[in-house]
Amino acid sequence: MAPKFCVDIKQEWDIVKARQLGRDRAREIGFGTVDQARLATAISELARNIYLYADSGKICFEITDETDRKGICVISLDTGPGIQNISRVMEDGYSTSGGLGAGLPGVKRLVDQFDIQSEEEKGTEIRVIKWLR
Amino acid sequence: MNLNIDVAEGNEKSVVKLSGEIDAYTAPKLKENLLPLTKKEGHQTEINMEDVHYMDSTGLGIFISALKSTNENDSDMRLVDLQDRVLRLFRITGLDELITIDTAIRGGNE
Amino acid sequence: METLNTEIHNYRNLLKHYIQIRDEQSLYGAEQLSKAFIKDNVPPEEIINLHIRAMAELYPDSPDHFQDSMNFLLEVMISYGIAHQEYRSLREEQSELKSEIAVAANMQDTLLTTTKPEVDGLDIGVVSVPAHQMSGDYYHFLKGEDDSLGIAVADVIGKGIPAALCMSMIKYSMDSLPEATMSPKTILKNLNRVVERNVDSSMFITMFYAQFLPYENKLWYASAGHEPGFHYDAATKTFEEIKAKGLVLGVTPDTDYREYERTIDKGDMVILLTDGVTECRQGDRFIETDEVLGVIKQYADLPAQEMVNKVYKHFERMQNFQLRDDFTLIVLRKEV
Repeated sequence: MAPKFCVDIKQEWDIVKARQLGRDRAREIGFGTVDQARLATAISELARNIYLYADSGKICFEITDETDRKGICVISLDTGPGIQNISRVMEDGYSTSGGLGAGLPGVKRLVDQFDIQSEEEKGTEIRVIKWLR
Repeated sequence: MNLNIDVAEGNEKSVVKLSGEIDAYTAPKLKENLLPLTKKEGHQTEINMEDVHYMDSTGLGIFISALKSTNENDSDMRLVDLQDRVLRLFRITGLDELITIDTAIRGGNE
Repeated sequence: METLNTEIHNYRNLLKHYIQIRDEQSLYGAEQLSKAFIKDNVPPEEIINLHIRAMAELYPDSPDHFQDSMNFLLEVMISYGIAHQEYRSLREEQSELKSEIAVAANMQDTLLTTTKPEVDGLDIGVVSVPAHQMSGDYYHFLKGEDDSLGIAVADVIGKGIPAALCMSMIKYSMDSLPEATMSPKTILKNLNRVVERNVDSSMFITMFYAQFLPYENKLWYASAGHEPGFHYDAATKTFEEIKAKGLVLGVTPDTDYREYERTIDKGDMVILLTDGVTECRQGDRFIETDEVLGVIKQYADLPAQEMVNKVYKHFERMQNFQLRDDFTLIVLRKEV
């Protein structure tokens, strides 16, 4: 497994740090401009969720190198309140109805793989992968 | 068209001043403001309807809920200063015999 | 993404041509491309990327600040791209919902269908149109063995699906009553009990129930808070409101209804309706009762069915073909 990079999300500025780190990794392994931008936006959404709703959390990156494909995996870990009803937040129009951000469905659209686990009062772990095209 | 709800809440009596239209879109807001007042035991709620120019059956439904709530909680509700068009709805539906409607003060105080 | 590779040549050539001679033809081509992109669900950031690539091929020496600005624009468009995708999938969901509702509306039609009876000496016209796909208005006819005719017109509070669900309940309760042997006030009393027990506190139903006895020239009726109908007196050519006092169904568990009686002579008409007729609006203005009656009078010489059709068309047009509420109008004319 390739080395893992993490950014702790405590203040809004950390969102920018996470974006930057993610974009650098993506550029290094050969992602094009559009996909770099998509990945950065996905990271923003995940990091902002931590910043807004959880006490503490971090965004980590792993390079996923398989025999036939290469990609970048972004992991969002927090010790926040957890998500009670995951199907609900994954519904289109649910989180965006307030007019803010793309929400988790938006993140899902920006990447190729999306997995979420959450436990109430404990926290949430989201893993997304974007493959090199 | 919108509905403005102005609540002057007191210990024993509250006055709710409505202005605008009561329809399917504004009714939930009215319900939200009105029902808590009717749930206070012994409380009096006066609803001034002078500036309500339109109400549809959804609005009647809210007043029926409020009426049932006053019966359950031993509180009191009265409607004052209704426009003719709105009053007609209460009359047709027979609700004027269940809900206290004050038409006497229409056109000013005394 | 297949399209992108073919489109990049198109895009580059069009762009090149346009920059050279700035003609309308290229812009027309751009419009066609734009439609193709939408059809193929190409997100806006891809289009900007296409532009960046085309410009890089055409003008490899363009200044850095130009290229940077384009990358900046691309970044700005990402969230628009997501919003666009969300819009597409919500639109698909919407059309699924629409077709589900269409199926439900069909079921409702089948459930609530009542045939307009043939009664000697009575000309009947009915029009009932929902404001949306499903109706909260209901009417039905019941022909008794003695040639009497029972007529019910009902209106559920609100409109659309909740109203339609409630209406189905009323239909079943009525079916379970020995309606033909009951008087209007007893029917309303029974229905009131069912509605009171089964619906939410802010829900209610209004109903007008009438029994027409042709050989006695009599109309017996009772109203549960329903919009009053009208009696057209052929002798004086005037309308009179059919007043009837009674509480709406579903408010108190034990309500008694009063029964009224009215003599209907040859040529007279009984007009029953729901508030979708009397609450018609023209812009911000409400239509006054006199205007409704004026329109009815205008077509009073036509057969009953033609008459109600004409009246409906009149109000449909007046409201710009967008009904605000379900619209039901029934006309009975005594011919002999």
